Amino acid sequence: MSAAQHGAASAGTGECLCRIHQLNPTLNAFISVLPDPSPATSGPLTGFTVAVKDNLCFADHSNTPTTAGSRILTNYKSPFTATAVQRLIDAGATIVGKTNLDEFAMGSTGENSAFGPTRNPWDLDRIPGGSSSGSAGAVAAGLVRIALGSDTGGSIRQPAGMCGIVGLKPTYGRVSRYGLIAYASSLDQVGPMARTVADAAAALTVISGPDPLDSTCADQPVPDFTRDLDRPVEHLTIGVPRQARNEANNPDVAVALEAAIETYRSLGAAVIEVDLPHTEHGIAAYYIVALAEASSNLARFDGVRYGRRTADPKDLMDLYARSRAEGFGPEVQRRIMLGTYILSAGYYEAYYTTALKVRRLIKRDYDAAFGTPCDAILMPTSPRPAFRLGERVNDPLAMYLEDVYTVGVNLAGLPAIAFPAGFSRVGMSRLPIGMQLIGPAWQEARLLRAAQMFESATQFHTQVPPCAESDTR
Amino acid sequence: MPRIQSVQLKVGLEVHVELATRTKMFSRCPSPAHPEFDGAEPNSLIDPVVLALPGALPVMNRAAIEMAMMVGLALNCSIAERTKWDRKSYFYPDLPKGYQISQYDLPLCFDGAVDVPATDDKGFIIPDAEPARIGIIRAHLEEDAGKLLHEAPGGGAIDFSIVDWNRAGTPLLEIVTQPDFTHADQVLSFARMLRNICRFLGVTEGIMQKGHIRFEPNINTILTLDDGRTATTPITEVKNLNSFKALRGAIEHELREQPRRWLGDGREMGAGQKRTMGWDDARQQTSIQREKEDAHDYRYFPDPDLLPVVISRAWRDEVAARLPELPLARQKRYMEMYALAAKEAAALVEERDVCLLCEAAIDAMQRRGMDAPRAGRAAANFILQSGAKRANERDVLISDLGITGDEIAQIALLREEGKLSAAGADELFGILCEPGRPPAGAATLGVPERDVETLAGDRGLLIIRDDAALDRWCDEVIAKNDKVAADVRAGKAAAIGRLVGEVVKLAAAQGQRVDAKVVRDELAKKLGVSEPRR
Repeated sequence: MSAAQHGAASAGTGECLCRIHQLNPTLNAFISVLPDPSPATSGPLTGFTVAVKDNLCFADHSNTPTTAGSRILTNYKSPFTATAVQRLIDAGATIVGKTNLDEFAMGSTGENSAFGPTRNPWDLDRIPGGSSSGSAGAVAAGLVRIALGSDTGGSIRQPAGMCGIVGLKPTYGRVSRYGLIAYASSLDQVGPMARTVADAAAALTVISGPDPLDSTCADQPVPDFTRDLDRPVEHLTIGVPRQARNEANNPDVAVALEAAIETYRSLGAAVIEVDLPHTEHGIAAYYIVALAEASSNLARFDGVRYGRRTADPKDLMDLYARSRAEGFGPEVQRRIMLGTYILSAGYYEAYYTTALKVRRLIKRDYDAAFGTPCDAILMPTSPRPAFRLGERVNDPLAMYLEDVYTVGVNLAGLPAIAFPAGFSRVGMSRLPIGMQLIGPAWQEARLLRAAQMFESATQFHTQVPPCAESDTR
Repeated sequence: MPRIQSVQLKVGLEVHVELATRTKMFSRCPSPAHPEFDGAEPNSLIDPVVLALPGALPVMNRAAIEMAMMVGLALNCSIAERTKWDRKSYFYPDLPKGYQISQYDLPLCFDGAVDVPATDDKGFIIPDAEPARIGIIRAHLEEDAGKLLHEAPGGGAIDFSIVDWNRAGTPLLEIVTQPDFTHADQVLSFARMLRNICRFLGVTEGIMQKGHIRFEPNINTILTLDDGRTATTPITEVKNLNSFKALRGAIEHELREQPRRWLGDGREMGAGQKRTMGWDDARQQTSIQREKEDAHDYRYFPDPDLLPVVISRAWRDEVAARLPELPLARQKRYMEMYALAAKEAAALVEERDVCLLCEAAIDAMQRRGMDAPRAGRAAANFILQSGAKRANERDVLISDLGITGDEIAQIALLREEGKLSAAGADELFGILCEPGRPPAGAATLGVPERDVETLAGDRGLLIIRDDAALDRWCDEVIAKNDKVAADVRAGKAAAIGRLVGEVVKLAAAQGQRVDAKVVRDELAKKLGVSEPRR
């Protein structure tokens, strides 16, 4: 069975909901399923079933909450809808539900959700990656055709890689953040996840473009990303960072990287080595910037105006402390505390100011690499395929280090597309391996065409996870 | 223990001005500092940005930047070419986001200075007195917080607090002066001047009771001791003073208390010594709010939701070109052009709208052929006499009486032409202030404005110049009052007033109005004395 046949891509809304009801109890990809999703209008996405990550505000007709995967927002109903979601609706898409995620998008396994972990459709004992866990799982299992995710340090690309689908992190400022519950404002970006490059391109075309409600959303022209998608990039030059051929890579990931290089060579691309010397420092810089911003962004969840409030607080300080202690999970509390510490008087210069310097160096590394010249930089989305649920919960530092291939892109504000590029066989399971192409700012169209070249030449995207196969329709 | 020989006051001022933009600092939500939305129902001026709902983002209001630039320019500040927004973090129930968006190290306006004229205790400028130069450290923009209420609406007791977020997100301009003030009078003079400047710039209505302008003086004293040493008392910052009286009260109270406190505890200015006080209006004294103000860590960092603000030369110049003539400059001009007394000129620039009414009247008079000094004098007289009297009676501003500048000009011209007596002109002024008249500018709405001369005629206020009758009445009065007439002829000039009165009475008895000045001239001529022109 091919991807075009399986799942919601060709299914009506009713069938899509039917599959969700069948598979979601196992996968836990959705926090809310909308009982009667009907498109209000018709447009380029008519007939597309879509799921949105539950950190995107959505005032839907059924009045389901927007939770950000957190206890503190379990019953929070947003009175407004995020710009990216609204644009999908206006383009005729049928939004069928809100997907599970690491609480406030903080995590890379999906295990930090107050609504329980999402399972990887390829192996139900494994994580789907995160933080856009439910979006990745729902698309991979064929529950929806497209999903929106958000990517602060890899949260679209890493789960896309682990679930064997396409995920695109746009240039910072390409898509409005209005209505995206902020984790780290200078890094967050909303983007599409889909089983094919073409579907990702269709969704990106719709959600991109300036928004008067987000001043960081750039006034850049938005091309139709689906046009000329099948036209190969002429004289394509792919850069492979020295740092991506890392001995810490899982052997299957290393093999997949070399295979992807060969595939591009066979398509006539030139492949050169580039240097991203500050890659290693990216993780430290990323966590300092992200946690500093997060500690401030999450201050609004104080139990005063909305969200969870503790019962019978004895005074104001108690109201704050207990509402937040009861409402936030351990990873979110850890990040708020670290971020608060980073911004404290006496530490700010050492941490935050230094991290901003590293951020500039990383941006410069990428500029230099593109100036070599090359059109796109190829590397894995993560050093390893999906690991087992619970495997790393007690080692946050090891977990943070897994983000080595994704965070630099966010620090530099660049676009990147992840796509399926191989499998790792572990016992009875086949686990997807993802690669990503990173491009210069505003060059999503070329990235999509380069990814399309790979997709047309390979069969990885046509593979279906076992849980979706066993389903009888 | 040394004794205090003398006490020198030292004050720096922080002023918060709520800018009267239509919408808030970072959202399109209507702002309560704008007259149109003043007095809105509690929690009616809110939106996702104001309430800091998840996913809401701030978007800068350019109008607020321009208003702030105008104030900065009026205070002779430099305007930053590039500025940015910072988050100031603290938890409080009236602060929706858990941080306030402010400007930390790159304020929009900086390094200004103004000369504060010496004033008397009523706030009137003393001419020829040396002004005090007050340095302006900075003027930066930020957003206001909501209001925390500890009583139920209407005043009932509650055992919890309620919040009104209408004010949250209102643009606030914080102006910080150097500690250059050495007397409470100077502070008051500066405060009044600043309010007036802001009103002339149109950036606030400046209504103190509504909190449009709030003062926070930083007060301390330098004590000279009898052993030759000096001691500097710790700084007291008094929060949120929203009347001139409270501002003066707080400074004078601290000036009395600080030397006394020093004698008690010997504490001097230094790290950890600053205190934050509130002002108790009923007891007319300051009370402690918190000690060690500088121990707070606000964890400032640049707000990633907002872009840095780049102010081009062209933008700055365009805003500068819109600056109106400021009150102090106008006052000087009135004294020079119209030969007004300092007090008159000061009174005319005290309220922007009154000042604009006066200028409209002067313009209209000049258009009708009066020269500048006569027009200025006549407008000042009408506004400060006829106008002030009625404004007092009705407890409104002169500019809100309903009379227009053009109408004042028409009265002045009728008076010049001798068609109105002084009393008649004042009466006509009053008629034109009566409520229910078509509003100024009604003609443009298709309602005919009444011609002032016709109105005066209808009300019998116009003087009929009937020289033959006047001649007859004068002769009759001189004949009847020969003793008084003799006094006048003998050089008792003041006595002529009685004769004038008799003529006016006689004319009135026949239903006629005469101009006392004309009568006086006529009588003087007949009695052979030259009356000096007044």
